Amino acid sequence: MKELIDYIARSLVEDPTQVQVKQDRGGSKVRLELWVAKEDMGRVIGKGGRVANAMRVLLRVAAAREGKQASLDVIEPR
Amino acid sequence: MSQERTNLEVIAPTVEEAVTKGLNQLGLPAEAVEVVVLDAGSRGLFGLGSRQARVKLTIKDMSAPVVQEPVSRPVETPQPAAVEPVREKTPTPAAPAQSAQELSADDERTLRVASETVSELLEKMKVKASVSARFIEPENANEEPQVLVDVQGDDLSILIGRRSETLNALQYISSLIVGKELEHWIPLVIDVQGYRARRDRQLRQLARRMAEQAVHTGKRQILEPMTASERRIIHLELRDHAQVFTESTGEEPNRKVTITLKKQQ
Repeated sequence: MKELIDYIARSLVEDPTQVQVKQDRGGSKVRLELWVAKEDMGRVIGKGGRVANAMRVLLRVAAAREGKQASLDVIEPR
Repeated sequence: MSQERTNLEVIAPTVEEAVTKGLNQLGLPAEAVEVVVLDAGSRGLFGLGSRQARVKLTIKDMSAPVVQEPVSRPVETPQPAAVEPVREKTPTPAAPAQSAQELSADDERTLRVASETVSELLEKMKVKASVSARFIEPENANEEPQVLVDVQGDDLSILIGRRSETLNALQYISSLIVGKELEHWIPLVIDVQGYRARRDRQLRQLARRMAEQAVHTGKRQILEPMTASERRIIHLELRDHAQVFTESTGEEPNRKVTITLKKQQ
């Protein structure tokens, strides 16, 4: 799951070195946080959240393969 | 091992093309043979060793005219290179998924990036499937050719999702990544086991049915929300309809096609 979001994010941003995906451990519900450079926020969120939502849809498949549910939050860097 | 049946193995960029080619060689209709997909084909690493689709056609009825010499060999050939050329030269294994014309280096790269990107995504989604990419001619001559990425495998319904939500997401993310990699946007379509063609047919039927209903009831018909490409199929299907016209209303992702009666003169 983490690898999927990491791959997508790195492929879309201008600055891949700033991409970080954090996955909290836990039971069947997994929460992923995606961190990217401020300038790249738009690229991983997209107009009206379209990119982020598409990532969530794909993440759902990956999670289902492991019998889990996953959520994705894109974190605004300070 | 000598089998009593006549087999023919064919290699082509896609499974469908291989079957067509094989039937042409045998001079038989599709009903007369059994088709076994030996290899749905796959991309290669960095364009090397990419495999084309390989199918075996078995003639069902031995009384049918046998044009081809019987080829008796085990089906389970693990190495794709070992395919016997059947009175026809085998396409070079490294050839990209395009048969007729030569592809430019740019085009080859486009196909390679497209199939690699989709494979990579599927792998990370833990979905086992084989992927091949080719160009398809657009319906209108003034449009760019599209890249079609074909995904084949067992039980890929998970890749389509409700109202093709997953397939559309996969297509959207893939086209963004490919566009970025190539530094220009390309029209990219992903198909999973012929789903797009089936959906296309369904949508055309739906369009005609709803147009009929609009004419029948005199009421405007509003369809369910669809993606731009799906709405386009509806618009095109009813473009020349004498009694109704279509338009899209609402905001993405809830944009819908409405079918309205034309004003009587």
